[in-house]
Amino acid sequence: MSQPAYHPVLDPAVAPPFPDAALPVLRNPQLRKNVAHAIDVIQTKRGRLVEEKADWQALRTAAAAIRTQALENLGAYLEEFEARCTAAGGVVHWAADAEGARRIILELLREENASEVIKIKTMTAAEIQLNPHLEAAGVKVFETDLAEIILQLGGDEPSHIVVPALHVNRSQVREIFARRMGIENLSDDPQALTAAARSYLRQKFLSVPTAIGGANFLIAETGSVAVVESEGNGRMCLTLPRTLITLAGIEKVLPRYQDLEVMLQVLARSATGERMNPYTSLWTGVTPGDGPQRFHIVLLDNGRSQILARQTERQTLRCIRCAACMNACPVYRQTGGHAYGSIYPGPIGAILTPQLMQMHHAQSLPYASSLCGACYEVCPVKINIPEVLIELRSQVTDQERKQLRRIFDPMYLGLRVANLLFSRAWLFHAAQRLGRMALGWFTGKDGWIHSLPGAGEKWTQTRDLRGMPKQTFHAWWAARRNAGGKEAR
Amino acid sequence: MNAPSSVIRRQVLDRVYAATRNAAGSVEQTVLPRDYIRRGALSAESRIELMIHRLREYDAEVTECAPEALPAVIVEQLKKSGRSIFAAPAGLPAEWLAPGFAWKVDRNLTTREIEEADGVVTACFCGVADSGTIVLHHTAAEGRRVLSLLPDWHLCILRASQVVETLPEYFSRCDQLPALVTRLVTWISGPSATADIEMTRIKGVHGPRFLHVILVRDQGAE
Repeated sequence: MSQPAYHPVLDPAVAPPFPDAALPVLRNPQLRKNVAHAIDVIQTKRGRLVEEKADWQALRTAAAAIRTQALENLGAYLEEFEARCTAAGGVVHWAADAEGARRIILELLREENASEVIKIKTMTAAEIQLNPHLEAAGVKVFETDLAEIILQLGGDEPSHIVVPALHVNRSQVREIFARRMGIENLSDDPQALTAAARSYLRQKFLSVPTAIGGANFLIAETGSVAVVESEGNGRMCLTLPRTLITLAGIEKVLPRYQDLEVMLQVLARSATGERMNPYTSLWTGVTPGDGPQRFHIVLLDNGRSQILARQTERQTLRCIRCAACMNACPVYRQTGGHAYGSIYPGPIGAILTPQLMQMHHAQSLPYASSLCGACYEVCPVKINIPEVLIELRSQVTDQERKQLRRIFDPMYLGLRVANLLFSRAWLFHAAQRLGRMALGWFTGKDGWIHSLPGAGEKWTQTRDLRGMPKQTFHAWWAARRNAGGKEAR
Repeated sequence: MNAPSSVIRRQVLDRVYAATRNAAGSVEQTVLPRDYIRRGALSAESRIELMIHRLREYDAEVTECAPEALPAVIVEQLKKSGRSIFAAPAGLPAEWLAPGFAWKVDRNLTTREIEEADGVVTACFCGVADSGTIVLHHTAAEGRRVLSLLPDWHLCILRASQVVETLPEYFSRCDQLPALVTRLVTWISGPSATADIEMTRIKGVHGPRFLHVILVRDQGAE
């Protein structure tokens, strides 16, 4: 089976809520196995390399401070970047939203008479759903990152921001490549599959004159753009075409060239568990005789300036898209990335997606977390994801409370009752006695509750609940005090 | 009707300035914590050993030689590669262009001509031992970017005096350069690779599949 039995929806405006979207994966053992395997490999490698780095925490502190400084002075740094890039022969465009960015890119492609583009994997292009719009406008898009080829040819969607096809295993890749590249007798050895991708793309790299890519960092001081990659498809796209169009979120700026000495050290370790990724490229505008002679960069806002304005949420924009948070997340490990209904999955997606949607969509995502804090601990730029999750939960609750249809919603009804009970001791004790009595009826001889009716079934359908102890804490405390200081043990 | 681009630019920048009006500190006030390791602690010899070790971990091949032996070692490596057509940057030292091979010196070579080369020989700016990284600034002896990209086999000449231990030490070296030098930079850490299929590391996707390094011991007397 190579085609997913369901098609994941990664448009937050129409994606089902997280608990529903998670079900197809939770019910697919093969998919769960693929995800868990990939994550285990990255986590083990990352753990080893972070361990050996004596100054890891100092690097995290510096990385967080650099990103914070860039964001707090973002306007000035963006203007500085624009001036330097323009002076070096680049053309800087500004887009307020996804639609604006797509329009600029399409206009540029028309000027180039481009009917085909080669593309470097870029999250920002996926965020503005660039590919379907280009295809609709008659421009054929060739993804060049191996994982993106697997997804594009397989009609699938990314489930991770660094290893987008980690949910697909080798035999599934073999089947997709054999069918779509028309190769018979293709083995499922990753070496052979990689070689197939190499020859599939080689002529495209050499002949397609227009490339679209993203940016890992924009350097304000020099007007340079940096792209971090592994395969060399990035270098191909950045070097061979006549025209290069880069799409970058406005938050991608770093103040100085030297800041890369921190960011490059933390990024590869966090993302792929390598001391350094195989290739990092940096270019500045246009260099006569070397690489694309026309360079356009589109700076995209698309909700970022609104995130920037909020004290607690601003840290979301420090993100350097390393994916360490999803690799560490116990929820992501179970559900994989498609459940998040966005191209940004995992903990960072849970805070970034609803904010990019200006809290109009993806309201279930801030709840897609156990708040265990593993994401915060691994984040190389110290984004306190649990803190932002809680802030967003309160915003979702404030929204919902105002909705008329929520008046009889069992959860809000229950919370209102709880509010009342907790406000008066006698009511609380009475309710407690009642509750203990009721639960007693469902408790088995083994001391466990195996099934509950009504809303309680939501708990017991997947796990047992321990029966109530003989005594409440209140009763125990009172008895202990009455015993007159005869301390046990 | 779409707003003109200057209006959108102003709109985005205004939003950004408004969003950060109450931000903590200005650039001048902020002192960034840089308590990470800037200078390495290894001896010169251990630094070189580490560089070689890291390169070999990436499956790059490393050959060491004395400065005066370099041209002969280049010949030896080219022969061993079993390849015959090599590309070279325009500024590659003439004594590195080993006789007996077909050289395509990059005087405006077309992409097709570079693609036809079996290999390429370049110099580099720096080696970073901690991560086994080779840094190219694409100067005349390091070549245009496309030159060290298309040929499947890359032979890079790295001098011991160019090897630093930590990445911050590379950036310190850049401080002494005119800013224009770093307008194009490529950091190479091993041959091109992917782990996109089941996290199995596969060497060689689109960039050169083979990276060879000749480490020239120009610091032997230190």
